[in-house]
Amino acid sequence: MVREVSTRFGRENIGFLWIMVEPLLFAGLVALMWQFMKGSEEHGISVVTFTITGYIPLVLFRQSVSRSVLLFRVNAGLMYHRQIKILDFVFVRFLLEFIGHMMAYFFIAVALYAFGIFPEPYDLGFILLGWLYYSYFTLAVSFVLAPLSEMSETIEKLTPVATYLMIPFSGTFNMMSWIAPGARDILLYSPPVHGMEMMRYGVFGPKLTVYYDFFYPLLFSSVMLAVGLFLCRRVRRTLAVE
Amino acid sequence: MIKCIDLHKSYSLTHGTKRVLEGITMSINKGEKVGLLGRNGAGKTTLVKLIAGVELPTSGKVIRKMSISWPLGFGGGFQGALTGYDNARFIARIYGRNYLEIRDFVEDFSELGSQLKSPVRVYSSGMKARLAFALSLAIEFDCYLIDEVILVGDQNFQQKCHEELFVKRSDRALILASHSLPIIDSYCNKALVISEGKGHMFEDLAEAEAIYAAL
Repeated sequence: MVREVSTRFGRENIGFLWIMVEPLLFAGLVALMWQFMKGSEEHGISVVTFTITGYIPLVLFRQSVSRSVLLFRVNAGLMYHRQIKILDFVFVRFLLEFIGHMMAYFFIAVALYAFGIFPEPYDLGFILLGWLYYSYFTLAVSFVLAPLSEMSETIEKLTPVATYLMIPFSGTFNMMSWIAPGARDILLYSPPVHGMEMMRYGVFGPKLTVYYDFFYPLLFSSVMLAVGLFLCRRVRRTLAVE
Repeated sequence: MIKCIDLHKSYSLTHGTKRVLEGITMSINKGEKVGLLGRNGAGKTTLVKLIAGVELPTSGKVIRKMSISWPLGFGGGFQGALTGYDNARFIARIYGRNYLEIRDFVEDFSELGSQLKSPVRVYSSGMKARLAFALSLAIEFDCYLIDEVILVGDQNFQQKCHEELFVKRSDRALILASHSLPIIDSYCNKALVISEGKGHMFEDLAEAEAIYAAL
């Protein structure tokens, strides 16, 4: 059923490819900018690779989260059909972003590898694991924000600012090993940092010192997901459908 | 059979709550045609939405023992950005029907021709009604939820609806929201008069109409 809805969303766009091209352009341009600002290598690793590996997951997070805002209201027309549940909306939107960004990541990595900029990945499994951790957190945030944005206008308006402020807490532009231990301890409370560190380890291997925990981010995201599901249930009861 | 048990529905507004339904109990058996009579804002549409499961009651329960269409005639149920064909495909999928059969029926019944290739957003309300009717008839529900606005199409379309819904599918149940007595008269054999959040079921249409007229 979920897949059925997703094919429909696919048709909504001019082409499914856009969903991949957009993060690609985004990350590509930002990477170029960083390259000019910082030179081609820093801390012994390629700036372009570093930026891209950080930026595409970040775009995934920001896109998914901003798209989950007022999601139920936007899709109210579909609720005329009883077999469509509001959880499907959140999940399908997320899944689409997830696939698109994964493809973008893969595509750009292969392209850069061909040019000798992207290193041969040290451990593909770790990249994938990092992605999954990062995405799971993204999904959990979407599940919380979708109902909250229906309940409160303040939250709806604050979301873009908040996702922007997430940048330093996402591990996108900083490795944990580059910053002071005190700050690092604080940043490691943020679940996406763990996922990002895993991905980076998967790409660059042991020449980077990385910090992550397997258990903590899972627990954090799962609790968040549970809260989100609970809120969805509550908001469904009061949702007015035109 | 559909059973509504003590349905309450209220909406919270910026200035307090608005109570629309305050305890509606009714049941509809297979093949029964029930008219919902009430003035504007009495809660006919709200009740239909609760029965359809589009909105959930504040308290009370709806028990559905037969398949129920989505509410027809309220404009919902379609994706405006998609074409008529794509909507048909989508609906065929979520109701688990064969798309090709549905498509043939829709082409035949709606007589929309090449218009089915344009987005539903640009359809007139009459065209939307044709498409909605065609799709819901193609799916074959046990009970149809209909708002009277959909029945005011042109003569030929009315004739068709009547034929499909009341002659070929006379065994199906129907819930028709309306404030027009002639429409209720010609389509229904029972009526629920809704006023002040309560509903009263009348087996005798004449009696229902007398009560309704006195409101």
